[in-house]
Amino acid sequence: MNGPLTHEVLAEVMKSCAGVTARPEQLRDPDATFEQFGLDSLGLLGIVAELERRFEFPLGADVDQCKTPREFLETTNSQLISGV
Amino acid sequence: MNGSAARRTVVTGVGVVAPNGIGADVFWKATREGRFVLDRISREGCEHLPLTVAGEVRDFDPAAVVEERYLVQTDRFTHFALVAADQALADAALGPTSTFGVGVTTASCSGGGEFGQRELQNLWGKGPGFVGPYQSIAWFYAATTGQISIRGGFKGPCAVLANDEAGGLDALAHAVRTIRRGTDAVVVGAAEAPLAPYSMVCQLGYDALSLAADPARAYLPFTSAARGFAPAEGGAMFVVEEAESAHRRGARVRAEVLGHGATFTGTSGWGPSRHGLARAIRDALAEAECGPADIDVVFADALGTPEADHAEVLALSDALGARAARVPVTAPKAGIGRAYCGAPMLDCAAAILAMEHGVLPPTPGVFDVCHDLDLVTGRARAAEVRTALVLSRGLMGGNAALVLRRGEGRTDTP
Repeated sequence: MNGPLTHEVLAEVMKSCAGVTARPEQLRDPDATFEQFGLDSLGLLGIVAELERRFEFPLGADVDQCKTPREFLETTNSQLISGV
Repeated sequence: MNGSAARRTVVTGVGVVAPNGIGADVFWKATREGRFVLDRISREGCEHLPLTVAGEVRDFDPAAVVEERYLVQTDRFTHFALVAADQALADAALGPTSTFGVGVTTASCSGGGEFGQRELQNLWGKGPGFVGPYQSIAWFYAATTGQISIRGGFKGPCAVLANDEAGGLDALAHAVRTIRRGTDAVVVGAAEAPLAPYSMVCQLGYDALSLAADPARAYLPFTSAARGFAPAEGGAMFVVEEAESAHRRGARVRAEVLGHGATFTGTSGWGPSRHGLARAIRDALAEAECGPADIDVVFADALGTPEADHAEVLALSDALGARAARVPVTAPKAGIGRAYCGAPMLDCAAAILAMEHGVLPPTPGVFDVCHDLDLVTGRARAAEVRTALVLSRGLMGGNAALVLRRGEGRTDTP
């Protein structure tokens, strides 16, 4: 699968990996936090692993520290696009 | 546990997920009727194993009750307990509590074997990147206590007992101590899910496990045909509270936990369990300030091997004297199997319901008793039941006894 990571795919893996329901438009809210959807750090870890498999690209240690969808998408996509 | 100065502990909520019924009322109806539900194991991936008969919880849909984000991070053994805890809490109708006022205690023998197997298969089949992070918590014995506590917002003292099958009774005793030390209420119990391939293979080393292929012949405690036990899944959860505060809030008191005793006699055969179990019974009676004549029914451990059954009968005789041959004894687990730590919890639930209804449930499928024991067989018996003794032994040498007293919130319709 090729980048960038979209809000739709993030919503999908939040559901499949962590059992958390969030609509893509809710994730687009720049002030949204993972906490408000009930996503914990272990859940985010699973999401990172799933995305690394899909994109066949290591996302590094910083990604799973992100507190918001916005930060997560920016960090992930900056790596996917730059390819480093 | 009922010393005048000590805080007393009462049961105000009962929740059950058992092979013969989900919910205390359904479970009681099946238990009272002696419904026999041991059957061929139907779980996928278990077909080739020599263990073929067990008590499965069928038609269980955790997704209907438990939120998805708890489901994805927990094993079936936790799903059972979450559902049973919900029932117990609804039954207790616990009102607002102080921040640290409610604790959680569970016991577990087998942990989350099914979840663990799936993730380990991912590890060896696909690689480390395919192991989900919830593997770090879901298989663990402590998972159930943790998840009940997180989901319910219970910030009181939490504990997990991973000390053999008798640990179920020990968990209730631990909850009593927690109440005594000042906590208002404890959500306590055990549920197990040992019927998945990995967990079943782990059990194959148990000498007492019955590999009989005929459900009707697999688990026949106290008979000359005894050949071991059939395992089961499921369990029960309770809400226990400090007696005075339960009375103050007008709770329906279903039972009082009066006394407990526990011993350890090792794994060198069942003979020594005679003395360990007898001592546990004596200790439980002493704490309950009861004599043998006060015991109206015994819920037996009923392991189902000739040696273990003999040891239990002798233990009853040692501890209860002449009363041992006259007191009604029952083993509802003969019809549903032994759910490890969940087994004595289901017996406690049955004991509470038996006291409330004035009915002794039978030992399903057992007819020709070969011991000097008044085993309730065939049909349920009407009886005035004020005090029940629940016994449990583990395969690793744990022995425990618990005395329960009928609560005043009694219903007279059987």
